[in-house]
Amino acid sequence: MKQILSLTVNNDTYEVAVSPWRTLLDVLRDDLGLMGTKRGCGSGTCGVCTVIIDGRAILSCLTLALECAGKSITTIEGISSPESLHPIQKSFIENGAVQCGFCTPGIVMTSKALLDEKPQPNDDEIKEALAGTFCRCTGHIKIMEAVKKASKQ
Amino acid sequence: MAKKAGHYTVVGTRQPRLDGALKASGRAEFTDDVVLPGMLRGKIVRSPIPSGKILNIDTSKAERLPGVRAVITYKDTNGLMSGSDKFLLCENMVHFFGDEVAAVAAVDEDTALEAAELIAVDYEPLPPLLSMEEAMAAQAPALHDFMTDNIADEVTMSFGDPDQAFAESDYIREDEFSVQPTHSAFSEHHIVLADFSLPDRLTVWTPIQSSAIIKSSMASNLGLTDSSVRIVNLHTGGAFCGRGGDKPHHYIAALLSRKAGRPVKIMCTADEEFLVYRGGGKYKFKLRTGVKKDGTLMVMDADLVHDCGAYMETQFILLRFVGSNMQALYKMNASRYLGKLIYTNNPPYFFHHGAGLVAMRFAIDSQLNLIAGELGIDPVDFRFKNAVEKGYITPAKFTYASCGLKECITKAARKAGWKKKYGKLPAYRGIGIGCGMLRSGGKGMYDHDNSSVFIKLEEAGKAALFTGLPDMGQGSHTTMAIIAAETLGIRIEDIKVVAGDTDVTPYDVGAISQRGTFTTGNATINAALDAKRQLAKTAAEKFGVKPAVIIFQDRKVYPKGSPEKAVSFEDIVYATLHSDEGRYVMGRGFYNPPSGQSDMSKYEANTALAYSFGAQIAEVEVDPETGMVKLLRMTVAHDVGRAINVLGVEGQLDGQVFSGMGQTLFEECVMEGGQVLNPSLLDYKLPRPFEVPEIERIIVETSDPYGPFGAKEVGQGPIQCTSQAIANAVSNAIGVPIKELPITPERVLKAIREKAG
Repeated sequence: MKQILSLTVNNDTYEVAVSPWRTLLDVLRDDLGLMGTKRGCGSGTCGVCTVIIDGRAILSCLTLALECAGKSITTIEGISSPESLHPIQKSFIENGAVQCGFCTPGIVMTSKALLDEKPQPNDDEIKEALAGTFCRCTGHIKIMEAVKKASKQ
Repeated sequence: MAKKAGHYTVVGTRQPRLDGALKASGRAEFTDDVVLPGMLRGKIVRSPIPSGKILNIDTSKAERLPGVRAVITYKDTNGLMSGSDKFLLCENMVHFFGDEVAAVAAVDEDTALEAAELIAVDYEPLPPLLSMEEAMAAQAPALHDFMTDNIADEVTMSFGDPDQAFAESDYIREDEFSVQPTHSAFSEHHIVLADFSLPDRLTVWTPIQSSAIIKSSMASNLGLTDSSVRIVNLHTGGAFCGRGGDKPHHYIAALLSRKAGRPVKIMCTADEEFLVYRGGGKYKFKLRTGVKKDGTLMVMDADLVHDCGAYMETQFILLRFVGSNMQALYKMNASRYLGKLIYTNNPPYFFHHGAGLVAMRFAIDSQLNLIAGELGIDPVDFRFKNAVEKGYITPAKFTYASCGLKECITKAARKAGWKKKYGKLPAYRGIGIGCGMLRSGGKGMYDHDNSSVFIKLEEAGKAALFTGLPDMGQGSHTTMAIIAAETLGIRIEDIKVVAGDTDVTPYDVGAISQRGTFTTGNATINAALDAKRQLAKTAAEKFGVKPAVIIFQDRKVYPKGSPEKAVSFEDIVYATLHSDEGRYVMGRGFYNPPSGQSDMSKYEANTALAYSFGAQIAEVEVDPETGMVKLLRMTVAHDVGRAINVLGVEGQLDGQVFSGMGQTLFEECVMEGGQVLNPSLLDYKLPRPFEVPEIERIIVETSDPYGPFGAKEVGQGPIQCTSQAIANAVSNAIGVPIKELPITPERVLKAIREKAG
């Protein structure tokens, strides 16, 4: 049985009818057309689908859409405009932290949640925050460098 | 092109990738982001047993389920094969856990899943052959009914006079090495969207390394003309050798779409990624090497058996590469090779990062370390002494027009502090060296290695570069833009790259065999030169000089020797486009390396023009309590000919060291009963941020005479050095030879205990 859900994403409010078993990831991509959040393993192991919910980095593939009523959701589309990228995004681009780019939105959102909470993290704190992400291309080296440099701005 | 580095304005700089902003903001389009009107979702019904007969398939319940639009089984495939030895959908036998049996398309994912579960298949299980030993046993039944045994393929190669060379050797050593199966683990799963709703028009959206291969294969297998098939390759979420060409899901989506008359998307689940589409297979090497007392390498004899799983796929290529590359890194007089692919009821293996050559390099360089130890020669000196050089011709006739191997060894050793550390580190700390090489494109897959590029100039002095070369993350599109900008005398921001649609982009063999920078790079130079010739005509008329003396530099155009007369590049383009003839500026460039053809009876040929070389030095720490190995530092020296984009080269070095470390220390598909026991990224251990080592990068530039601006590959060369560097370091730390990958804690503890007795 579908339920009507009011969802606040990137400060916009959407009314959607969702079945109880559908995940936030499904609704973001299939109902709202917010394709920036990528569908990876679908089982919480790769971090590709990470969004920010009430300030915390959350795996949208493991979050039921109905759990998100009344919460503030930020996706990759919500942190920048085409004219002006977020400093973390700029740092990723300039420092070579983007290769195939499939994991990038999730890692950018994870990094944003970290820097919002802790603007000057040390190396171990960066590693810990990014431990649930996974990038087969870069070896994480330039990603950690990019987060570090973004934190100094 | 004879200019020295430093005289270039764009080549050799650090350029962020052109699609960086798209990707970092989530706007880059991947296949799963494409939604077509009327699009259906497909699901594949797979065998739940590793071996057996299909007694009956009942699809009636699935067909009656509301929302189902197409169901297909063998009967709908017209006997279509996927590869040389596999029916796309099984007829009456299944050969591995996951073999494709039937498929459905329905209005949504949930309905498709339900329909797939409603398809009832009766099986009669047969005893599976799960190891190469069982499959090769004399009384073993042949897995495939068109075979009399389970040797899928067999290759012998012999160069020089191996018997004579062994007779002249002072010391001969024999060892066995093995490498366990791995998984590619790219973050974007295998996915396809096919629209075959009209019988003479098939469009396939899919992440792929070669649009050319999948296009021609699908056209010929489906009885279509080449121009009826359009491949759209959007952004691709990693490939690492695993997305070379067509695979079963591509055909299944096409057939479902044909039957339903609507587009069909199939995305593999995490289980399917692990159970069906894995990475590299299991390798066993028996290696015999002969040397002189002074450490001069004489001869190598290798026996390889490789479990290819139930179907051969592309592993026959790997089998040949191993034999022709094994004597290409160190000088030797002769070599002999016997390679066998063995059918088992394991899932078919594909290429994995490093294309199977990683296992061979691990075996060879590990054994050379043992030999150096017994002869009392320093491992670095041993490699330096035998290293190939510029001008050297290998026994298989590879010819090195440029070679920086010795420079790589020397620089890596110096930077890593080898002399201060080797033999002087505290207990359970170790240092080790590994070397590698790889060709930059070349022939072998086909009798050509063609790339073509178009460069169209637009009014504002901008250029659109059309290429069929995919960029799976390696940055090849940015590399091509740099090469075009340098040649045209404009800025990288003046170039846009148009790629990934075979209806629009010119032919290119694709991003396989490390050919992008070298081959498509040369085609890009030729296209830019052609565009310049067209502009030079206008400029020559304007200045009243011959076209040959027109200079293009810093977005200015002027006659040689008269820079004060310069007009802007933009003005010349505008004047050309708006000339009385209405000239259209489209530069066309082609490149097919004039390298040799491989003789399939002797395998002797210089099939590529350029080869890259590298050396890596690993420093590790072993925890004797847990057996955990930590890679502390890797010093990486790689001869790239010329770094077109320094930022891109660094990214390749980092990524390959990390991925190579994964294959060496952590990654293993644990198999039981034909199934992977650890089919998720939680259980299949691959390195994450906490495992990141310190990396020292040394870019060696030897300016290859055939390479674009002297460049060679950096796509899979670096990973050719990593495993043996780490293995030799672990061996150095615990005093026990390492002969099996991955070097998991269990294996390390076992080695330490056995040594202690």
